[in-house]
Amino acid sequence: MPVSWLPGGKLSPVTTRLTDRGRWARVLITVVGAVGLLAGTLWGQDDDFPFGPFRMYATAPDPDGAAKDTRVEGVTADGRTVLITEANSGVRRAEIEGQQQAYEADPARLSRIADAYAQRTPAAPPLRTVRIVVRWHGVKDSRPTGTWTDQVVAAWTRP
Amino acid sequence: MNRAVRWLTEPVPKGRIAAFRTLVYLFVAADLVIFTPWVRAHAGTPGELYQPLLVGRLLPLPTPNPPIVHGVFWTLLLLALLAATGRAPRAFGWSVFLLYFEWMVIAMSYGKVDHDRFGLLVALAALPSAGRARHGDPERSEAAGWALRVTQIAVICTYFLAAWAKLRFGGPDWVTSSALAQAVIRRGTGLAHLIAGVPGLLIVAQLGILVFELLSPLIFVVPRRWRGAVVAYFYSFHLATFATITISFAPHLVAMTSFLPLERVRPVEWVRRRLGRTGAYAPDPSRP
Repeated sequence: MPVSWLPGGKLSPVTTRLTDRGRWARVLITVVGAVGLLAGTLWGQDDDFPFGPFRMYATAPDPDGAAKDTRVEGVTADGRTVLITEANSGVRRAEIEGQQQAYEADPARLSRIADAYAQRTPAAPPLRTVRIVVRWHGVKDSRPTGTWTDQVVAAWTRP
Repeated sequence: MNRAVRWLTEPVPKGRIAAFRTLVYLFVAADLVIFTPWVRAHAGTPGELYQPLLVGRLLPLPTPNPPIVHGVFWTLLLLALLAATGRAPRAFGWSVFLLYFEWMVIAMSYGKVDHDRFGLLVALAALPSAGRARHGDPERSEAAGWALRVTQIAVICTYFLAAWAKLRFGGPDWVTSSALAQAVIRRGTGLAHLIAGVPGLLIVAQLGILVFELLSPLIFVVPRRWRGAVVAYFYSFHLATFATITISFAPHLVAMTSFLPLERVRPVEWVRRRLGRTGAYAPDPSRP
């Protein structure tokens, strides 16, 4: 053990140095990583993970514009409405929102959510209808007004 | 050697990297089971919903199916626990990094990318290079210092570049936008709705967030004795975020411990001492 004892029982730690090659390799890796991250921040998108921009809550929604709160609902054959969640379908709400345009363009894609729900919650009655509902909450002066309206943006019913 | 390079590889006690290594790999195991259990649910997600990230298309990584997802889960869980022991740091470390990276591609290829773990990924990439380190070892190491330093830089980039992203996507108007109001509506707690009720408070909070993020790199230049207070402030920010809009940023919080003198936290040593045994680096009373 390369530790020496000084009078008084104090430790005098030895330092393990890097070789020149090891040091410059680390400098190079650091610089390349930093350039990648800066480029991702300036020009990248989420797709460039892990070098994409840190864009959590980075958009600037209108201080008086409605706030979007999305949910996914399923309806069983006997007319019961079920909220589709990460727990009962394995699909996160944000993942549905991230692919919302694809669902709007092709609502049949929602049958996949019904499949995922059936797979994840096999004991539950199967879903006849799956729909994406956006609740638009009123916002005024960057504060919630407490009012809302619902809008169905995509719906699929089992043929 | 110039100052920047010396700073980048400033030696730290090996005991610190040993403690950080154990913490990070234990977190990876906990992340799989407790913090992001939904990743495993992608085993049952139809392949049509898989929209691979750029890295997944380039490599190209396979479309997740049950054998792949469960295989990665169990292998990663086992290897993370082995890596947490500090043995074979390179072999276990690289394996955990590669598998966790694949785990993240599985997590984020279904329409939502999270931004809470860049620091953790950098820590996982850098830890294998720090070499062997025993808990409590006071010997200093430049390789260990670099691994912690790049993790710190990644943590601060998560703040600083987040401010940059706000200016890029939202513009200066972000400060007066309804960004936080939207967050409160979508996932606010009772406390958040209380705060949202006060006129102007969410705008003040937005200004505070942007200023804090832009100033976060100052942690590298403040006097050393203030650093603990700055890190405590960072943690308190996340506590407030969690208490209001239930965003935990857990992986980032673990990476942020790279700023702390973790070598002083010795739970195993404390238990041993309780039991009357002394550890490898406890001062020996028989010495002069």
